[in-house]
Amino acid sequence: MNYEFSEEEKRFRESVEEFCKRYIEPRWVEIDEKGHIPLDLIKRLGEQGLFAIPVPEKYGGMGGNMTLAAIAVEEIAYHDPAVAVAVYTLLQNGWPLALSIFGSEAAKQEILPKVASGDAFFGIGSTEPQGGSDVAGIKTVAKRSGNKWVINGEKAYISGVREISELPEGGGYFLVSKTEKAEWGHKNITDFVLLPKWHGKMSEKVKPTVYDEIGRHGISTGGFKIEDFEVDDEFRIGEINKGFYYVMEGFNIARVLVAAATIGSARWALDKGAEWIRERKLFQGKPIASFQGVNFRFAELYAELEAAKYFVYRAAWMVDNTYLTNSPRFKPRDLDVPVALAKMKGPETATRIYEEVLKWLGAYGYTKESNVYRGWLGTFSYTIGAEGSQNIMRYVIAREVIGKEYVSHTG
Amino acid sequence: MRIIVALKPTYDVSQLKFDSEGVPLLDTCPVTLGEADKCALEEALKVKGSLGATVVAVTVGQSEAHIKGIKDALAMGADEGYIIKINNAWNISSITVANAIARFAVVTGPYDIVFTGSGAGDTHSSIIGPMVSALLGYRLVANADKVEVKEQKATAKCTMEDGTYNYEVEFPAVITVTSEANEPRIPTLKAILRSKNMQVKEIGPEQLGLSVEEYKDIKVIKHMVERKRVIMEASDQKSTEESVVKLLTFLKDEGVI
Repeated sequence: MNYEFSEEEKRFRESVEEFCKRYIEPRWVEIDEKGHIPLDLIKRLGEQGLFAIPVPEKYGGMGGNMTLAAIAVEEIAYHDPAVAVAVYTLLQNGWPLALSIFGSEAAKQEILPKVASGDAFFGIGSTEPQGGSDVAGIKTVAKRSGNKWVINGEKAYISGVREISELPEGGGYFLVSKTEKAEWGHKNITDFVLLPKWHGKMSEKVKPTVYDEIGRHGISTGGFKIEDFEVDDEFRIGEINKGFYYVMEGFNIARVLVAAATIGSARWALDKGAEWIRERKLFQGKPIASFQGVNFRFAELYAELEAAKYFVYRAAWMVDNTYLTNSPRFKPRDLDVPVALAKMKGPETATRIYEEVLKWLGAYGYTKESNVYRGWLGTFSYTIGAEGSQNIMRYVIAREVIGKEYVSHTG
Repeated sequence: MRIIVALKPTYDVSQLKFDSEGVPLLDTCPVTLGEADKCALEEALKVKGSLGATVVAVTVGQSEAHIKGIKDALAMGADEGYIIKINNAWNISSITVANAIARFAVVTGPYDIVFTGSGAGDTHSSIIGPMVSALLGYRLVANADKVEVKEQKATAKCTMEDGTYNYEVEFPAVITVTSEANEPRIPTLKAILRSKNMQVKEIGPEQLGLSVEEYKDIKVIKHMVERKRVIMEASDQKSTEESVVKLLTFLKDEGVI
């Protein structure tokens, strides 16, 4: 048992902090206000080696691991509490890692170096208009035609739709699709690399729409219709009809990083709250931190945040030391509970902290000037969805701990 | 080309807090390489990138902060890193520090350039570079805001109190660099991992033939200016005009203007 980060992990955190202070902190409000992460910042993140951290160096990655990726994402979210830049970064770490594990050599060589450099985006295309949690119920279909696959369908609430069109190279998704026909079930799913824009050229067969969201405006969320989009078989991810298992493992990777983003933002909020309650004086000059109604609540929230951090880094540690090392004592599903704990606890802790800090700041907290609401809305997004809803996290924990003979969504 | 970069970990004054008596809370203040020192290292690394050079980072002291400072320099791209093992390095005279660096340059040299920050983040005495230059007999360019290094010489733009000077200097030279000179690189993960197994080398004062002179009687002097709280009324046109005259008279009497 060792509860301390290594010297390199600490040094890496310091370097990310320095990067964020220089390039992100001065711009985070503007990024949220304008609803746009500047492309020069995305390029800089790539140059600094903050994308594809856990991806092997032979694919252009940094040869790091998930603990380091979580450190980067947490630290970026601390300096961009509205979490757009952190979410962009987590996507550029989580799904490239999944592709590096399951993708063909050709797809990895073609795509991952461009993602690592910041020239292209690679995210997840799973959710559809009828829902996201029911992956077995998706309706997008890929039909084989010789050495190609022809894909038709529609995806919704997908990150990075606008960024793909803006980035010089473009980018795409780890696309989850039914094989041949749209029947409910998890054994007829195949994953593909879908690139709506590549080498700077936008396909006319993918028609994107950008949604207008209430928070974390910097990164776009949207949907796209896919009409007769042809994908070479070498861009199929893994084996035919095993796609459900791959995407679930991909979700486990990405969930750790989603949780890391929320705790980074929550840490900013609690620091801001602590600063306020020390400075704000009432009733003949007493700092409001002296009142138990405030300091007890602070202690409770601090404990929750520490617990969430432990969940996040324990899950990251498990990915590094069991999943990525192919430990013989380990099955991929052993990650389910540790990861679900982190993803359940992180966003919920963050929104609780934001609600309380807003109250400490009083009427000022409710103004746009305080900027606290930006982090509140940003992290609240992850209590709704993103690589699995909170109820799915509860379901996973209950199923694994109580037993699937008692807990099953299929009745 | 061989380059020394002399570094000093200093209190990060931007994060320094004080107690109610005005005493700085040094124990809780992070210690880090000073901004100007990082810029000096960046200049050396730029030379390494453009002309090829071996960059040797050195600091005087053996505390954890000194070791970390050198490891940070290795992560940024220095080829070798040394600590000169002197106890209580926060409390030795500037001439001892300069002597240590100069002796280090002689013992491990020869070198073409010694880069250092124009001043440390805390004391900012700006005398180490000039002292090293005098001790080694190297040419000196101090307070460079911009440096361009060629094969045998460097040009530098230096801002002094009375104007901007452009210098050309042949090697060997000591060049002190301000925090305006560049934007120091931030170590990437790959660089951090690469530097993981690089050794921080140790060299003792006896190997350099040094005698260490510690400061004797250190006094902490507080610069506290009492507020006079002079209030002048400026509620309407007349009182504002009168107050302007009063304010000017007051500031002249105080010797401010």
